[in-house]
Amino acid sequence: MTRRIRSKIARGSGELAILALLEEQPLYGFEIAKQIGERTGGALTFTLASLYPLLYEMEKRGWVEGHWQANDAGRDRRYYRLTASGRKQLAPLRQEWRAFFQALDSLAGVSHA
Amino acid sequence: MPNWTRLVQERLARVKLPAGVKEEVVAELAAHLEEAYEDARWRGFAEEAAAQVALQEVEDWRVLAAEISRARAEEDGMNNRTKSLWLPGMVNLIAAPGLLMILQKLGVQPRVVWIGNMAMVFYFPWLITLPIFGALGAWLAKRAQGSTWYRLAAGLAPALAMLGMFVLVLPLSIALGTSHRSGFPWVYFALTMLVWVGLPAGALMVGALPFLNSGRVVVKG
Repeated sequence: MTRRIRSKIARGSGELAILALLEEQPLYGFEIAKQIGERTGGALTFTLASLYPLLYEMEKRGWVEGHWQANDAGRDRRYYRLTASGRKQLAPLRQEWRAFFQALDSLAGVSHA
Repeated sequence: MPNWTRLVQERLARVKLPAGVKEEVVAELAAHLEEAYEDARWRGFAEEAAAQVALQEVEDWRVLAAEISRARAEEDGMNNRTKSLWLPGMVNLIAAPGLLMILQKLGVQPRVVWIGNMAMVFYFPWLITLPIFGALGAWLAKRAQGSTWYRLAAGLAPALAMLGMFVLVLPLSIALGTSHRSGFPWVYFALTMLVWVGLPAGALMVGALPFLNSGRVVVKG
């Protein structure tokens, strides 16, 4: 697998993970990375370097929107929330990934079911 | 604990973004590193080790700088300037003269002051309201993460537009004035500029000043 394909898969899965997470509630960068790591048992991890360029790209596309707000500890954090456009992206992205895993499963038997 | 803001500022020094956007990126990444550090401390790491854990969030700052520039620059090069300068300036530029027109329609009489044989027209009720428009323009620019210069320009937009008009009219006036026997009326021109540019600029500045500091606007809720 070339680096480019790996990068595209990582990017695509990252976008879906972020959108799915923000569908539940607005979160700031560190929380996004932490929750993705925790909820995937560490299978998906984001560092600062991988998270923010992706978030900024998604913001540029209008899928998410950042705004400064004080967190529970009273510190200013840039929270991201899903926009209407981002919400529209979720269903087709989910469908694409479902199709991708089904295709991979039929080829390589990767499903655990 | 390391000074994360300074660290990020230094490592992203070469990122070319508008000042307000860069400031925001630095603040956001510094906050992330700070939380990574505190998280590591909470998990039992010693101070130095926790700082190392936080620093491992970024393998290559040059790559990150390039990716952030790419991710934010395309939008922010044009759109950010539009949002943080042109739109706030335009709102101010429409609102302030708009109020003057309304006052004139309502029959509010200007105060005419004679200086020698020169009549200077002052709309005091309008001048009094100008700090509000200065504040509005600067606040809108600040809200859109505009730099201090953008906030200043948006706050002073009506006065800057008048200045532009005077600069455009000046050569024409001189050309016409020099053909007149008495020559170009420099004093009258300067006084008119003072009334229509200087005084409004001062009034607008009063309103804009509180929004010129570099602090971010925090949107609650």
